[in-house]
Amino acid sequence: MKLSENWLREWINPDWDTQTLAEELSLAGLEVDGIDGVVAEFTNVVVGKVVSVEKHPDANKLNITTVDVGELEPLQIVCGAKNVDAGILVCCAKVGAVLPGNFKIKAAKLCGVDSNGMLCGATEIGLADNGVDGLYCLPSDAPIGMDIRQYLDLDDKVIDVDLTPNRADCLSVEGIARDISAISGLKVSQPFTNNVEVIKNGECSQLVSVNEPVACPKYLGCMVINFDSSAKTPLWMKRRLERSSVTPKNLIVDVTNYVLIELGQPMHAYDADKLTGNLQVRFAHDREKMITFDGKELKLQKKSLVIADDAGVIALAGIMGGLSTAVSSDTKNIFFECANFNSSVITGRARQYGLHTDSSHRFERGVDSFLPERAMERALDLFTKVAGGKVSKIIAEVSENNLYKPKEIQLRPERITKLLGVVIADKRVEEIFNSLNFTINKNSTGWGMIAPTYRYDMEIEADLIEEIGRVFGYNNLPEIDIEAPLRLPKVTESAQDLYLIKKHLASQGFNEIITYSFVEEGFQYKLMPSISAINLKNPISDDMKSMRTTLFPGLLNTIAYNQNRQQVALKLFEAGLVFINQDDTLDNLVQEPMLSGAMVGNLEVSNWAQKNKMVDFYDLKAQVEAILTISDLIDEVSFVPQNISIFHPGQSAAIIKNGEQIGSLGQLHPALVKDAGVAGKVFMFDLKQSAILAIKVPLAVAISKFPAVQRDLAFIVEQDLPVQKLIDTLQNYPSSILKTIEIFDVYQGDGLEKNKKSIAISFRIQHETRTLQDEEIDNLMLNLINLAEETVFAELKYEYKIGK
Amino acid sequence: MQQQLQQIIAKATKALKPVVELDLLDEIRVQYLGKKGELTLMMRILGKLSNEERPKAGQIINEAKQKVQNLLNDKKVQLEMAVLEKQLTEESVDVTLPGRSITVGGLHPVTRTLRRIEEIFFKAGFDIETGPEIEDDWHNFEALNIPKTHPARAMHDTFYFDESTVLRTHTSGVQIRAMEKKDGPMRIIAPGRVYRHDSDQTHTPMFHQVEGLILEKNASFAQLRTLIIDFLRKFFEDDDLKVRFRPSYFPFTEPSAEVDIATNLFGDGRWIEVLGCGMVHPNVLKNVDVDAEKYTGLAFGLGVERLAMLRYGVTDLRQFFENDLRFLKQFK
Repeated sequence: MKLSENWLREWINPDWDTQTLAEELSLAGLEVDGIDGVVAEFTNVVVGKVVSVEKHPDANKLNITTVDVGELEPLQIVCGAKNVDAGILVCCAKVGAVLPGNFKIKAAKLCGVDSNGMLCGATEIGLADNGVDGLYCLPSDAPIGMDIRQYLDLDDKVIDVDLTPNRADCLSVEGIARDISAISGLKVSQPFTNNVEVIKNGECSQLVSVNEPVACPKYLGCMVINFDSSAKTPLWMKRRLERSSVTPKNLIVDVTNYVLIELGQPMHAYDADKLTGNLQVRFAHDREKMITFDGKELKLQKKSLVIADDAGVIALAGIMGGLSTAVSSDTKNIFFECANFNSSVITGRARQYGLHTDSSHRFERGVDSFLPERAMERALDLFTKVAGGKVSKIIAEVSENNLYKPKEIQLRPERITKLLGVVIADKRVEEIFNSLNFTINKNSTGWGMIAPTYRYDMEIEADLIEEIGRVFGYNNLPEIDIEAPLRLPKVTESAQDLYLIKKHLASQGFNEIITYSFVEEGFQYKLMPSISAINLKNPISDDMKSMRTTLFPGLLNTIAYNQNRQQVALKLFEAGLVFINQDDTLDNLVQEPMLSGAMVGNLEVSNWAQKNKMVDFYDLKAQVEAILTISDLIDEVSFVPQNISIFHPGQSAAIIKNGEQIGSLGQLHPALVKDAGVAGKVFMFDLKQSAILAIKVPLAVAISKFPAVQRDLAFIVEQDLPVQKLIDTLQNYPSSILKTIEIFDVYQGDGLEKNKKSIAISFRIQHETRTLQDEEIDNLMLNLINLAEETVFAELKYEYKIGK
Repeated sequence: MQQQLQQIIAKATKALKPVVELDLLDEIRVQYLGKKGELTLMMRILGKLSNEERPKAGQIINEAKQKVQNLLNDKKVQLEMAVLEKQLTEESVDVTLPGRSITVGGLHPVTRTLRRIEEIFFKAGFDIETGPEIEDDWHNFEALNIPKTHPARAMHDTFYFDESTVLRTHTSGVQIRAMEKKDGPMRIIAPGRVYRHDSDQTHTPMFHQVEGLILEKNASFAQLRTLIIDFLRKFFEDDDLKVRFRPSYFPFTEPSAEVDIATNLFGDGRWIEVLGCGMVHPNVLKNVDVDAEKYTGLAFGLGVERLAMLRYGVTDLRQFFENDLRFLKQFK
């Protein structure tokens, strides 16, 4: 909420400068978001009266004026404005004035005539454009010679208070003044008296019946007739409204808005001549129509509270008035409405119709049920002081039982100490609640506290204790350490820390990225058509609609983004959840933590010693294997050729552990390169975090003291045989002495038949408790050779020599 | 004999002088000290000598052998030195040339910040909890004392999937899950991604929070304030960091506060809000069957990006999610 500082100071004027005032408000829980001057700085501009106007002898468009600025001699000023005229009051910048933009006014000669100052238009002194082409004219009663900043109250500041939803009581000048009173100890001084004699000499001709007293426990109405419909809103009132970001419209609307901001009571004014029959406060009929004053047609729902006359709905209660009965500059008779609506009836309604008004904002949060009487008097007083008129008696439909009355809340001194951690003397507690206008009933266990009727946020003891803390000052609380028993943390050794894997990847040249969890639906579908995604009902934009089912879209988008910025050698990874919709119910939604990476471009930054080497499948696989090794999984997983749609069919593998897929790797399918907007061959992997973060606690075995023997064999197999198949075959041979099997060469080409390849394998053989005999080694090797031949049709490249 | 020995020594010395190869050295050794070496052969003379002369003569020959051996040793050392010298010269490289590059990557600044926060709390005995990002209405709102009609829901700008399934708007739901699982006392933090339907210069639709919860029998608001000030000063490694508490409002805490620190990031020492905190609302405790008379809860929620910005001097929030390598590479 924005409000004029000077308006606030009219209600309460602590001895604080603007900054201090803002700081104190913030520290009391009414956060000040900003303080703005109302216009730019300027000096030495005063109210001047144009005494005479003569044509400039040598310049067609200029006039020579004399201007009375309250000094002994009037000033001679040459002026080019069209609307200059003898007798008008204007803003006169004297010699020495500095206007906004550091524009200095000096004595000058204009086409040969002395000019000692400048007559100003609105924008020249930083005011909003008032649509006048020429001078900014002042009312005839403006005191000649008075500084314009003082006259127009331009040294005022606009304070922007960002209120939390619980502090609806501060949605008014009076409300903020009340809180300042509590923290400063000063009294609020209401700048007007209640019960001013508004002449209420007539019965109100408009009848109102409240059908829904729970929803509308209080309804006040009043007719004003025979007023001066040409009366204009006074400048000071317009100014204050503008400073609260309310655009002045006409006197009637301006008065209701003024009361809204000053006291926090929303009001409405109907053109009484446009009302048909009696008014009713009732719920809307289903699909009943209403056109709001700004011309929008609403189809109402049954639970909407409305004001209706015999012709239909004329206002959405507490939210917005209708077009058919709106006041205008032609309005001759007004019916003022000042009511209390139950917040539960208003809450959510405005938003339902796409509306949000100052009125709904307040009613949703709760408006003081005892305010309407005072607000009505204030509005009538303000209105009739300007426009006169005959005021009817106020009609009042009140349902006492349904008015919001805060209940008594028990406050225990020991509970204050327990929650705040500081002992507050009973006397101080009472002072605090006195300053907040609570009713205090002392009793055997402490106090029964009754909040003032404008405090909707006081419900439980903790609410009261917060009030004490707030007024006492959070920053005045003592510093006390938390005391808790010393307990050692649970450190689960089998739970691998993801951070360590991230650190490992970083040391391998990978940069971690964090991308949004929602991606473009179409792109993701192209990448992974087989996984069904869940979509947001209300995405920020269409390209952020689908929850990611894989981390690949984010990686690819980031590659494209960086490639477009001349970053071409990229190794990236991301860790995060993916969301997989198992069926259409959301009940079986899987939120799976994944780790995913991508490589593209040169393997290393090229340098004097190394030629460029482009990343390939095996560079990627090495990275995946390293992670699996860190996670102690490398012996438990297999890489199985598998056609995964996002990958190149010839470079695509699933990572399988105990029959379950825990990840995948491959080259981005060439057909998807263009869709992804990337350049070059992109290699990517993903791994389930659940798989790589569960590690074994090591169990040591004794090291054999006996020598290990190495035998090398080269097999010739079909070119399309996955090497893993051969390795698996060999590994499956039951032998306690065969320790490791390692591939040390793969060859295709000269010396081999087409469609064949040679795989050279090194076997390490060792016995735990004795030295091996040549015979057992040869037996083992021959068995392995036979097995390879039988299972995958492998032939030996070179004959096996016994005992070698 | 003496003279003969002197001559052999002189000859050996002369022979050794021009030797530049270790192999030659061995030949010379054989020539003088080998089985049939000149000095070895001299020992045969001993047999012809009397018992009285023999020890003396033996000593003299041994001394001569030793002398030649020493000459050989010295030469060997000298030659080995020369070889090493040569190797060293040959193997010299230009150490000013850069190494063959190994590019080192880095962690995202948000991860780095999260780790720092986690470390500080973990070392003080907090457990680290996580929760789902697609959350149900109960854990994200209802249990946290934010009923459907509550105006505070408007503060949250929620992304939703259906009426009761949302992207979590805060990590506070994890405190509900933690208290549903276990009775007090407890100390947890819950880091993670959160989502708000808001996107402009100072808001991204996804960001990170760390929720903290302490459930103890006698935890007070003054203690919460002490803890938060302590955390902020430790996080920023600044014992003089200015911190202020402002009363605020969250439906799930009472009393509630927002916390500002004075920062010079923008050159003016302005107050910047870094977190919200408060004492767990009795309704929240009731929702998870914790006795509010017995336990009090202290809760806080840190904005990770905000802390990262202030710590590392990042002035544009959106940079965190653009993932421009030139930005990321600044965080090793």
